[in-house]
Amino acid sequence: MKKIIIIIAALFVALSITACQSLDVVGTGAITSFTEVAKNLSEPISSDPVNNGWSLAAPGGERFVWSKDFSAKGMSDLMMEFDIQPFLAAGLQPEKLDKNIYLYDKLANKLMVHAELGDTQFKSASSTDPLATFKEIVTAYRTSVNYHEKLDHYNIAFGGGNMFEWAKNLTTNDKDIVFVLNPATLISAGVDPLKVEGWVFAKVEIKNAQGDKELVDKLLKPYNLQ
Amino acid sequence: MKTMQLKIGGMSCSACAKAIEREVAKLAGIAQASVNYATEKLQVSFDESKITIEQVQEAVVKAGYSVIPVQQKKEIIIPIGGMTCSACALAIEKAVQKLTGIELASVNFATEKLLVRYDPVLVRISEIKQTIINAGYQPLEITTTEQVDEDKKRKEKEISTLWLKFKVSLIFSVPLLYIAMGGMLNWPLPQAILPMNYPLVYALLEILLVIPVVIAGRKFYTVGTKAILRLSPNMDSLIAMGTSAAIIYSLYSTARIALGDFQYVNDLYFETAGVIITLILLGKSLEAVSKGRTSEAIKKLMGLAPKTATVLHGELEMEIPIEEVEVGDIIVVKPGGKIPVDGEVTEGHSSVDESMLTGESIPREKLQGDKVFGASMNKTGSIRFKATRVGSDTALAQIIKLVEDAQGSKAPIAQMADIVAGYFVPAVFVIAVLSALAWFISGQSAVFSLTIFIAVLVIACPCALGLATPTAIMVGTGKGAENGVLIKGGAALETTHKIKTIIFDKTGTITEGRPEVTDIIVTSSYGADELLRLAASAEKGSEHPLGEAIVRGAEKAKLELIKGEGFHAIPGRGIEVTLAGNNVLLGNSKLMIEQGIELAELVNQVDRLATEGKTPMYIAIDKQAAGVIAVADIVKPSSALAIKKLQEMGIEVAMITGDNEKTAQAIGKEVGIELVLAEVLPQDKANEVKKLQAAGKIVAMVGDGINDAPALAQADIGIAIGSGTDVAIESADIVLMRSDLMDVPTAIQLSKSTIRNIKQNLFWAFGYNVAGIPIAAGLLFAFGGPKLNPIFAAAAMSLSSVSVLTNALRLKRFKPYRALVENELGMVEKPRDLPINILTIDLKTKDNNLTVKEKKIMKKTIKIEGMSCGHCVKRVENALQALEGIEKVEVVLADNEAIIEGSTTLTDEKIQLAITDAGYTVVSITTN
Repeated sequence: MKKIIIIIAALFVALSITACQSLDVVGTGAITSFTEVAKNLSEPISSDPVNNGWSLAAPGGERFVWSKDFSAKGMSDLMMEFDIQPFLAAGLQPEKLDKNIYLYDKLANKLMVHAELGDTQFKSASSTDPLATFKEIVTAYRTSVNYHEKLDHYNIAFGGGNMFEWAKNLTTNDKDIVFVLNPATLISAGVDPLKVEGWVFAKVEIKNAQGDKELVDKLLKPYNLQ
Repeated sequence: MKTMQLKIGGMSCSACAKAIEREVAKLAGIAQASVNYATEKLQVSFDESKITIEQVQEAVVKAGYSVIPVQQKKEIIIPIGGMTCSACALAIEKAVQKLTGIELASVNFATEKLLVRYDPVLVRISEIKQTIINAGYQPLEITTTEQVDEDKKRKEKEISTLWLKFKVSLIFSVPLLYIAMGGMLNWPLPQAILPMNYPLVYALLEILLVIPVVIAGRKFYTVGTKAILRLSPNMDSLIAMGTSAAIIYSLYSTARIALGDFQYVNDLYFETAGVIITLILLGKSLEAVSKGRTSEAIKKLMGLAPKTATVLHGELEMEIPIEEVEVGDIIVVKPGGKIPVDGEVTEGHSSVDESMLTGESIPREKLQGDKVFGASMNKTGSIRFKATRVGSDTALAQIIKLVEDAQGSKAPIAQMADIVAGYFVPAVFVIAVLSALAWFISGQSAVFSLTIFIAVLVIACPCALGLATPTAIMVGTGKGAENGVLIKGGAALETTHKIKTIIFDKTGTITEGRPEVTDIIVTSSYGADELLRLAASAEKGSEHPLGEAIVRGAEKAKLELIKGEGFHAIPGRGIEVTLAGNNVLLGNSKLMIEQGIELAELVNQVDRLATEGKTPMYIAIDKQAAGVIAVADIVKPSSALAIKKLQEMGIEVAMITGDNEKTAQAIGKEVGIELVLAEVLPQDKANEVKKLQAAGKIVAMVGDGINDAPALAQADIGIAIGSGTDVAIESADIVLMRSDLMDVPTAIQLSKSTIRNIKQNLFWAFGYNVAGIPIAAGLLFAFGGPKLNPIFAAAAMSLSSVSVLTNALRLKRFKPYRALVENELGMVEKPRDLPINILTIDLKTKDNNLTVKEKKIMKKTIKIEGMSCGHCVKRVENALQALEGIEKVEVVLADNEAIIEGSTTLTDEKIQLAITDAGYTVVSITTN
């Protein structure tokens, strides 16, 4: 009995020591895959001075932005940016948008989804390497990074059902990056989700943190980078 | 040919028992090998010239099981007196070690005790003690460690180990199950182990939790794997295969998770393996406890014998351990003490409660020359007796052996279960593989097929099949022993319930087997007591059973006999003797007619008595007819009731006797038997049984004498009365410890209950597997129903063994018909002193208007003050016995009372005066 307890205790200690990094296969995989995504972009990741971060641009012009400094006021920690025109054409009344989630840039004609990941005073150690910053965000806000089993994607959650997803394996997946929006708030702002041009309104199977399967409505903008 | 029993360890189901039987039977020189899974014993008959028991043991070990050594050596601790220093201790050690058969002799000087481990075959305790005395020291009272205790300790350890394993398993399985099921049931889980976020951590944590569970259940893997390698898989093999499949697949899934295939987090089945092991361990623990309870009866019997005996050495009473009592020792037992060994009373009288051996609730009177039995309780008086049988020869030891042998035997009904169990495990494995393959081929996933495979392996339970029969037989035979019915084996127990005809021997079985005076017909010249006194005086010293009956009758009536002269036996006629100057003739009508004696009206009475099955004898005094004394073998009090009960049970009852037709018919009529086979020679009794058997009937024979032995052996079931001869007991399948025929319906009732219980057990065991395996194989799922989770399969499997055992234990509630009659009707059998029918005839007037006077017996209970010891009891007894008309006196010191029986002429004043004169005070006298 004593031997069993000692063995178990030792294994627990060993697991605890190594658990944080090497056992976090989802976190590690998410960074590796994101790096692969970055390599396959038609335009390299660029600096985003507005948010004091980095910007990943999709072939259609949509952007995923992550900040180097979460402490900065008036800037998003994470942000997705799209052309607002298809939404307006689908009935969007911008004044009805939830300001906590959406920003409407009339000048640029862009719709932005922003996220504040937390109140931690996150500051990236690297000011020149966007992937190093992304890695730091994944490590610091690991609970926001998930694996989407159905699509074999990783994602970083913005909250409220909005997220940015990227493929675990770009060679086998035909949706290498996907901008994912929860259509509920848009619908309440007048959008007919079926009429948003360039976007797919679909039921998507997801698993919650406990592993429960759910079918939820999503507006998707996928891209195959290869 | 030698037959021995070996205690086997490591068996987990009846397939193990079969495997051992096969391995041992393969050996040259083995006549028979039979393993009882319930008692965990191998009974092997072998030719000593061809094989040794050690080779048999090797074969068992080779088969993957262990032989638990039966402790041949005994250990005792002898306290030593007279030691003054450690040199004394050394001297004793050296002296004792010199004896042959001593393995260890170690003296602890501080505690003044010598620990000896010795071979009782080679050396006796008395020799060890003598050696100590020779060395100059005094051996004191001994304590022993019995093998029974060792076995009990081993069982207790086994149970506690199983419980510990179950607890360890449970402690780790509960969180394992929580983590695994938490997601599905929305139970909160710490962020760091969420399966979708940290799948590898989640998987490794499950591995960590399942490891101790697997360690706790490692026996399933070690024993199960060995069994598979021997190509004789058992229940452990099924568990091992089922859980290993779950664990191996889960480890593969973990590896895939580590390689980045996170969806494999859904394919972890560690909790399935963990919970299966936990549930099986729970089942095994409950099974071990229940199995222990099935042999409680034998433990009770073992606990009956006292540990010490008070032996008389010269005039000195010495208390010695029971093991040291030897045949011929004079043993003293005081009121309230237990009789340590079997023997014969040499001094004193008492009533002895033999209920613990016979179930008989009424204490028996023991006088000089009567037999006493070890473990019975001495109630009233102090007695001394000579030990006639000690150790394993005592009645108690024999009963224990008989019950143990019976419990270890197999009933024919067990054969079918054994055959099925033998093929069961391989068949289940094949079904599991085929089911999994079928589902996989039909398009189901590998994971689905795997769960089918595991569920089939886990739900199949050969242990329930293996336990169904032996456990019921253990409880049934144990219950029989508790009720004074010793059933010699499973086969006898099974056949008994099929009995269609029972043949009873008459003498000693239906009747007491000892003639008693039943009638006295007197003329106006002599009173009944006087006539009996004269007849008994004439017969004093006679060895004829009829004469002995008359003498006993006079002794019971406390009549003082006269010394006779000129005793002359007239063959075929009777006797002639002179008593106090009077010529007394006692005999049949031929004697009287030859002597020219006028019998007149007595002739009619004699004819009447003969018709009633009695043996009448004329008495003539000085050539004048004085009366008639009739003796008869009286029917036991419960015979008629027992026969009625058997007839109610639909059993044909017959009586067989060598007696003449008239007597046989009279007895038959009295007890309600119509089929009477009279004037049957002893050698023809077996033929009569055969005739009934030839008619297709299952026949039981109940008898007690040597002459009944062939018939007992011929009958399908021979039932011997415990008071009968050893030959009859040897020949019988069932022995009734009481001389009470009510135990015959009890035996049949017990057999019926046990067989019904076995059938229920087999039904549940078979039914469970017949229903469980197809469900586990996905039959319901194929028709749109649910798929059986392997965890539920494991729970069901454990439940099956436990339910079979629980059902077998229900037999412990068995109530014999006898007890029901006693409780419901208030019928308690008591020793009988039957009244003698007294008839007075006036020969002068030839008056046919006869008056029948039944002798009236009065019973009084006297509360007495002032008695404090056995001597007081004796004084009160003597004072009461001296009273005229007293027939029986019983003084109970513990209750401060005396119970007397006697003539109605006894007045309370006379009783009070007698007790007061003896020095005691009468508190009250109650007439019952």
